[in-house]
Amino acid sequence: MDTAPISRGFKSRREERAPKNRLPPGQHVTTDFPVLSAGPTPLNTLEKWTLVVQLGGSQRGKWNWTEFEALPQTTKKTDIHCVTKWSKLDTTWQGVTFDDLLKAAGLAEPPAPYIMAHCDGGYTTNLPVADLIDGKGMIATRYEGLPIPAEHGGPARLFVPHLYFWKSAKWVRSMRFMERDERGFWESLGYHNYGDPWKEQRYEGD
Amino acid sequence: MAENAQLVLDGNAAGGLLQEIFDGEITSALIQCDACDSTEAVGSLRLYASTMGAVLRCNHCDSVLMRAVRTPHGHWIEMKGARCLKL
Amino acid sequence: MRAIESVALPVRRLEWQLAQVREIVVETIRVKSLRLHVTGWQGHRPGQHVDIRLTAEGGYQAQRSYSIASAPEDELLALTVERVNNGEVSPYLVDELRAGDQFELRGPIGGYFVWTADMSGPLCLIAGGAGVAPLMAMLRHRDGQSSRPLTLLLYSSRSLDDVIYREELDAMARCDPKLGIVYALTRKQPEGWTGQRGRIDKALLARVCFPPEQNPKIFVCGPTTFVEYVATLLVELGNDPLSIKTERFGPTGG
Repeated sequence: MDTAPISRGFKSRREERAPKNRLPPGQHVTTDFPVLSAGPTPLNTLEKWTLVVQLGGSQRGKWNWTEFEALPQTTKKTDIHCVTKWSKLDTTWQGVTFDDLLKAAGLAEPPAPYIMAHCDGGYTTNLPVADLIDGKGMIATRYEGLPIPAEHGGPARLFVPHLYFWKSAKWVRSMRFMERDERGFWESLGYHNYGDPWKEQRYEGD
Repeated sequence: MAENAQLVLDGNAAGGLLQEIFDGEITSALIQCDACDSTEAVGSLRLYASTMGAVLRCNHCDSVLMRAVRTPHGHWIEMKGARCLKL
Repeated sequence: MRAIESVALPVRRLEWQLAQVREIVVETIRVKSLRLHVTGWQGHRPGQHVDIRLTAEGGYQAQRSYSIASAPEDELLALTVERVNNGEVSPYLVDELRAGDQFELRGPIGGYFVWTADMSGPLCLIAGGAGVAPLMAMLRHRDGQSSRPLTLLLYSSRSLDDVIYREELDAMARCDPKLGIVYALTRKQPEGWTGQRGRIDKALLARVCFPPEQNPKIFVCGPTTFVEYVATLLVELGNDPLSIKTERFGPTGG
């Protein structure tokens, strides 16, 4: 592959040194938190917000904001990796784990192997349930101790940090169980169906 | 439009990616929204997610009219939200 | 759908080319113009832009788009860059770049936000801040023609000191009775200023723009909220939405 000509003196302003082995291949650490959205930021009043868990045609769980906030809370400090090549280290998120959500819905076991997350504004992303259980995924409501700002997905976003961050869907409103995998917004347009940053699974065909 | 309005550009800014896909200039093409019937030039549509590809939305109803991605394995484009494109 | 006029030009496949900085012009405290030599450059139409790509030692890359501010007839390609606070690319281009430096560039890109002298009708150009850059390409191109349309530049800027190309614009207007320039100064106005104080509003547009019956070609460029606000007002004043061409300038990532 040809190397591009170097522009003398140019360097990433926001780059930081990363401790070895913290960064997946091709990533750079950033100190800021870029906003990337597929559409306008939804305006949400907490009074109208609900989250549902769906299976087939039926709702297996539904919570309004007050009810959701009353569910068991978990805090997680971890790194996040965006497919556009930035990573943020040691970010702290708080919310309800998928395990606790299942429990609250009265589901002892996940009833199907796949999930499609549906969000305000129409964004979707698909995941194997195996990548949400055992503490791997949560519905996050706080970032660095404060309510997640709207532009970063507040009031609640899916949070699945071991996969590329497009899977951590902003403005999540419904978690729909699926018997068969279906592709979400980016997965159906050339992005990788799974998205493991450590295997650099950015695009379909990687 | 809300607080991060200034981050939203338009189809002009996606011109390079669209030119790769269509092998020609299409920002001056007219596109009709299937949801609300309004007709606009591709260059004037609001552009989102430009670091991942291009998501172009109708100025009147926010429907997605066009989505495009460049990958190392080829380009993808989807236009199901548009009724037609006049070049 | 109604047909719109379009200038059909064969479009060259986009390839990254090498741009070398020949000259840097200080426009204001925040803004510089880079005058570039681009190997194999095949020309452009006023209003088009280029994508540029910077590569750091170690391979990190950043890509941005900039409007071409020079006329197609000019010898060098000019890009006008405003320094965005905390930006990643614009501070490099404005503060670090020197004559002799190089970066990659591809273009020209765009066919929608374009004006050439063969387009008929009065020309109405509305600029918000650094959005004046592609409109300047149009004015410089127009300035080189023997026959010129009636033209208005309505330019919104924080202050007179922030007006880019001010001397050149004033000189153009002095020599050309068919060119009118109106400034709206939003934050600071000089002593005795009789022009618009604060942002462009409906009354100002109604007063200075060509009436819709004259079928002006309208180009609006600037920050996103500015562009959408002005375009909405122009439609309220009776202009056909399809006659208003818009280009939203973000901080484009800085």
